[in-house]
Amino acid sequence: MIPPIPQPDPVPLPAPAWLLWVLLLLTFYLHLIPMNLVLGGSILGAIARVRARRGDRPHDAALAHLVVKAMPVLISAAVSMGVAALLFLQVLYGRLFFPSAIVMGWWWLAVIGLLILAYYGAYLLALREHSLGGVGTLLAWVIAAVVGLIALIYGNNMTMMLKPQELVSRYLSDGGGVQLNLLDPTLFPRHLHMLLGAIAVSGLAVAVVGVGRRHRDPAFGDWAVKYGAIVCGLATSVNMFAGLWWIAALPRDVLVQFMRGGMGIVGVLLAGIVLTIASAAHLMLAAGGRKPGVNVGASAGSMLAGLAMMLGTRDAVRSASLGVAGFQPVAWTAPQWGPIVIFFVLLVAAVATVWWMVRALVKAA
Amino acid sequence: MNYPVWDIPAGGLLIAVIAILHVFVSHFAVGGGLFLVLVERQARRDGDDALLGYVRQHSRFFILLTLVFGAITGVGIWFTIGLVHPAATSSLINTFVWGWAIEWTFFVTEIAAAMVYYYGWDRLSARVHLAVGWIYFVSAWLSLVIINGILTYMLTPGAWITTRGFWDGFFNETYWPGMFARTFVAIGLAGLYAMWTAAAIRDAGLKARVVRLAAWWVLAAAVSVPLTLAWFLAAASGAGVPVAEIFGARGAGMGSLIAAVFGTTTSGYPVAQRAAFWLVLSAIALVAATLRAVHRGGRLGRPLAALMLALGLVAMGGGEFIREDLRKPYVIGRYMFVSGVRLPDPPGVATPPDTHVRAFGRDRFTIDALNAGGVLAASVWVRPVPDSMIAPAHYAEKAAHQGRELFRTLCAACHTIDGYLAIRPLVRGKSVEAIDGMLGRLAMPVDASGAPVAWNAPALQLKTWRGRRMAPFVGTAEERRLLAAHLAIVGGASPAAVAAPEASAGTGQKYYDANCAACHAPDAMAPFDNDGLDAAALYLQIGKLPAINEMMPAFEGTEAERRALAEYLASLPRPSKKGGAK
Repeated sequence: MIPPIPQPDPVPLPAPAWLLWVLLLLTFYLHLIPMNLVLGGSILGAIARVRARRGDRPHDAALAHLVVKAMPVLISAAVSMGVAALLFLQVLYGRLFFPSAIVMGWWWLAVIGLLILAYYGAYLLALREHSLGGVGTLLAWVIAAVVGLIALIYGNNMTMMLKPQELVSRYLSDGGGVQLNLLDPTLFPRHLHMLLGAIAVSGLAVAVVGVGRRHRDPAFGDWAVKYGAIVCGLATSVNMFAGLWWIAALPRDVLVQFMRGGMGIVGVLLAGIVLTIASAAHLMLAAGGRKPGVNVGASAGSMLAGLAMMLGTRDAVRSASLGVAGFQPVAWTAPQWGPIVIFFVLLVAAVATVWWMVRALVKAA
Repeated sequence: MNYPVWDIPAGGLLIAVIAILHVFVSHFAVGGGLFLVLVERQARRDGDDALLGYVRQHSRFFILLTLVFGAITGVGIWFTIGLVHPAATSSLINTFVWGWAIEWTFFVTEIAAAMVYYYGWDRLSARVHLAVGWIYFVSAWLSLVIINGILTYMLTPGAWITTRGFWDGFFNETYWPGMFARTFVAIGLAGLYAMWTAAAIRDAGLKARVVRLAAWWVLAAAVSVPLTLAWFLAAASGAGVPVAEIFGARGAGMGSLIAAVFGTTTSGYPVAQRAAFWLVLSAIALVAATLRAVHRGGRLGRPLAALMLALGLVAMGGGEFIREDLRKPYVIGRYMFVSGVRLPDPPGVATPPDTHVRAFGRDRFTIDALNAGGVLAASVWVRPVPDSMIAPAHYAEKAAHQGRELFRTLCAACHTIDGYLAIRPLVRGKSVEAIDGMLGRLAMPVDASGAPVAWNAPALQLKTWRGRRMAPFVGTAEERRLLAAHLAIVGGASPAAVAAPEASAGTGQKYYDANCAACHAPDAMAPFDNDGLDAAALYLQIGKLPAINEMMPAFEGTEAERRALAEYLASLPRPSKKGGAK
């Protein structure tokens, strides 16, 4: 009987597995923030653009303008961080990732075309914001839809790779790479959870921008804090149900395996929920005029911490699913310490260099 | 095999299309960065506002092309190779994850610098803006420096084959020529793209100046790229890549490329030769077009600039095809074939610990393991033969079914049935025996003197059937026969012919079918003509086949088979028209 999970490469892991795992989570976290802003921001930007068509809504117009200007940079940041996360994912889980990607090959490859479309669309909007008129609004919705579709395709791959036995039967039925994982009961609650989370994070970002602009443009600043709070609060409220739906949709054996993680992992899940609720609550306080700067800051801190907790929960669910599927991690390691040290030194240098450049640009502005 | 095969025609071609488009932009992303910062410096030093305005316009074009199309198609190559060559991608990532991680730090810096440079035109001081430009170029170039190590490793893995050391693979035999060649290509592309944006300049005087400037970049590459390419080919040849054989030339280096352009179809590897032809032709045309552009100066129009870009793309495509073809039939030199089959580890390579073997078993995907245990039994990604086809009476159906699975697993990475590198024309009208014999000699491991060696010999070279850079058939004898039967059906054989092994055929005919008929059957490329010779004369001829035609392998059968073959050949009727092989 041949196991459904491919054999590991006959070479040792080039680093301790824990280091690769930490880097996977770290880079994915760094990807998650701009990715949320792209996904949620593109929707909020498109809505703002529609609302701004009525001439008496200057704040919506200002928000639409901000989103349009920020979107190319955000997409760039999301892609830059995403490639690193995908790299470490492939080292640790390539044996599941590649077969899954092949089963949905054309869809997976379509991500590239869709991303180019969304990226160029974002630049077109940024460069021709006012001259595009109604076409610009349509384009803003197209970008939002395309980004949402990319997220759905990713969700398909990330859920399908957790079921190696099913992957084999799927492939043998059709190896042409046109299948999706649409019948997986976890797919849509998962996608909805991510989408609402992205909208909540983007609402928070609008509030952060509002706080930053209060002194220069008090009317817009106050409006943005309130608008951001409403968006974040609503999205977070609905997301509680989406999150529960996702958990309820998990296969029972996966849920049992997840709970076997003990109080630690349950604590991480609960901390994630509490922190995101706290984030929305702080925003509401800010919207009510109570120390907006402090509360928006506390909201952002809670959200960032909450995202980290959610990330930990997501990883625990993946581990539980893989445990049920019989996935065994590779323990044979031969760390390439020389390249590892060079990487970390260069990473510090890159962060410092980017920091210096961005600071110079912001200061000059 | 270890991974599923994405069931699409010509997956390799898909990689090629995306890769060529990507490298055509990504090299511009490197050279163009240098162009921007040098021309900006010149314009600021000379107080040349017109030139500075051009650089600014050019930077917008640069950002839009490189940050979006260039960066995303780079990810696209990664996606595509993961889909088409998952085993190779997995192997590369396990070997070079830290190389890619290091490259990522440059990539992030490069992207950030590009954005700050573009958005900083009106905000940053000249000094800081130029500094950001230099940061961009240096990080972009260092990105190339890293990726070049991985790409050249795939052609010439160097000492990594025995040490499995990161740096041994990275700084391989073709690393330095590859790095210089790509750097000079990047410089040439910077000039080429500058021609394109220069064509849009309205001020004729400024346009003429920019065109002259850009031409220097193109012409600098026109001189330096061939030199580094010759160095690259010589280095590859020194590392055991059969450059001369592939180009049908006498030696490696630049001369081999020229030989390929004028080569005939009877020697060398046709795909590489065609790529060399287009590379050389388009490069020459590009130099001519550049001189023409300089001549037109302020009157340079978009059509000529577009033609130059198109020629650059063709040249780049030719170069990339050659690099790929030099590597074939490996996907990672002397380590893994395009089918995902690995060579066994040479002596001295670290073996996995017992705990690893207990958890995952021994490596099932080396040539030796697959020859012993079979492909169909090793892979979970092949459709099992239905029970209804197991009976001997249904051999043809079984062959069609299992042969198709074997074709998909072993051959489809390169071949299609009727499209790119089509298999049907190669097997049309051939018998199962002829194809079976051909499959058996696709590739053999030899040493530098041509003597057979084991598949795990550290310095092994590959002797391929008629120099066609084919991977060896891998699997059991029964699987080879199943694949041969499937291909015979693809080539037009009837199920009855496939199902009925020629039990009645004599030794001579069997040997002829298995070893000679692929080329010398009545409807093959060189139908056999005994020229009226008797068995004794033919017996002597059989003993000196390579001397008769260097494309023919030496007779490898027994004495009895040689006599039987001679008698069989003497008994064959002469072809009705002239031109057969004697």
